[in-house]
Amino acid sequence: MSCEADEWMSPRKRFLSAVLGGRVDRPAAGSATSVATVEQMEQTGCFFPEAHYIPEKIAGLASAAYEIIGFDCIMPYFSVWLEAAALGCLVNWGDKYRMPDGVSREGLGVTDPSQFRVPEDFLYKPTTSALLEAIEILRGRYPNVAIVGKTMGPWTLCLHILGVKRTLIWSKIRRELLKEWIKLLKEVSIEFAKAQVKAGADAICWPDHATGDLVSAETYREFLLEVHREAVRRVGAPLILHICGDTVDRLPYIRETGFDCFHFDSKCGDPLKVRVIAGDKISLMGNINNPKTLLYGKPEDVMMEAKHALEAGVNIVGPECAIPTRVANENLKAIVKAAKQFKTR
Amino acid sequence: MDESEFLNKIREAVVRGDIDGARETAREAIKAGVPALKLVNAMSSGMVEVGKLLESRVYFVAEVLVSAEAMSQALEVLKPYLSVEEAKKYRGKVMLGTVEGDIHDIGKGIVATLLQTAGFEVVDLGVDVPAERFIEKIREVKPDILGLSSLLTTSLPEIKKIVEKLEVEGLRDKVKVIVGGAAVTKEFAEEAGVDVYCLDAVEAVEICKKYVEVVR
Repeated sequence: MSCEADEWMSPRKRFLSAVLGGRVDRPAAGSATSVATVEQMEQTGCFFPEAHYIPEKIAGLASAAYEIIGFDCIMPYFSVWLEAAALGCLVNWGDKYRMPDGVSREGLGVTDPSQFRVPEDFLYKPTTSALLEAIEILRGRYPNVAIVGKTMGPWTLCLHILGVKRTLIWSKIRRELLKEWIKLLKEVSIEFAKAQVKAGADAICWPDHATGDLVSAETYREFLLEVHREAVRRVGAPLILHICGDTVDRLPYIRETGFDCFHFDSKCGDPLKVRVIAGDKISLMGNINNPKTLLYGKPEDVMMEAKHALEAGVNIVGPECAIPTRVANENLKAIVKAAKQFKTR
Repeated sequence: MDESEFLNKIREAVVRGDIDGARETAREAIKAGVPALKLVNAMSSGMVEVGKLLESRVYFVAEVLVSAEAMSQALEVLKPYLSVEEAKKYRGKVMLGTVEGDIHDIGKGIVATLLQTAGFEVVDLGVDVPAERFIEKIREVKPDILGLSSLLTTSLPEIKKIVEKLEVEGLRDKVKVIVGGAAVTKEFAEEAGVDVYCLDAVEAVEICKKYVEVVR
């Protein structure tokens, strides 16, 4: 993809500069969560579910974000289940329209952390090793495009391993036990992140779904603030926190974590409000609405929302979260068009 | 402690999510001769308050689940003291399912937990449920209410399909249809011909309770 005359940064430099809050030739466009669509699967010949666990298929589908859409980054982890599968959870891998999900609502069925061992070969399990190999492939093919890895944070891993209901109830009545689990699973998140950096990822997305749709801001502070600070110290690469839903009430904590960037949802409301609360301590990514704008809107609707986000001070414009697979490429391309038209200086 | 103090205490235990407190109060109240049904009603009133706290974002889903657990454990103590007739007074049958094309069940699972706590019999068909299976199971189970969940916008057309199929099969007036889930909006629910859109799990329970009261 050729650079426009007034674009002097490579997508990789632009994306990383934006993540780190630096100057850019024009705003970056991209996402730290899945932008894979059925249309892209048909164009690349790489379909779900294989593109969740076969390295060449993962890399092939992920590359569409740059080759077909024109985003500044490629993010090859489309689901939220690779670590959980490597830890023993049974996963229904879905099909080309459906994202994977856990088979059991109860997670692994273990409750005592002393009864649980992270497998020594965690990084060599089929799902985790497939992602690492895909990142290596992409790094080799795209030296000038940002490659974004992804590791589920310990809260999200608890939702998978312990089950949603148990995790939420324990956050109120068995706090110390849940903290033990978080301490244990934090090591999984950090080691997987470091392995992805070693494989060639420029930055890591860290989804940790302590969302306002499930728990309070105080729960975020109590269980995750220090854990997130530790991740920032130990991973050794730019980190992008992703939390779905309304997170406005916990932004004052999030901005103190040291995460370089926060990928936020349209449920937070006006991006200007998010920018004001976040201040200049953290870059922002997002927050174009998926169900209304990207799935059912027209390219002009997408452009209008993207422009609004950029005017509010969003550094990397893109979808709010993993997009429905039926979103049209045309709508994703409209995000890039809006970023190209936006003058930063 | 007199009856009204017991009722107040158990209601508060549910609102605060005090599991041990709710269970112990239920035991003490029964010993003191407080009718079990009155205790159940006091706890239900506590869950209404919990719903209000959720709406105003003082509480979140985590707190709601703990309150539901408090009520559930106290109910276990009270069950032997409820006559079959009394139990029936607050019970209805709800069939739940996530529509075909969608495998999300966090929200539906929370609704199921709260409905069971409120005394409903819940038949959960699971996720990715085809319209034909809903029809088949409605004939078999005869629920008062059918609750459809959809988190993905891609599976929204399925809700319309199910409502249309209910009409074709002559079942539409046999069951109240409620919907919820991140992808569903009030406007969509009206357009699809369902009876009620539920903003969250607590509202879903309140809607089910009101409906069962009206038809009985």
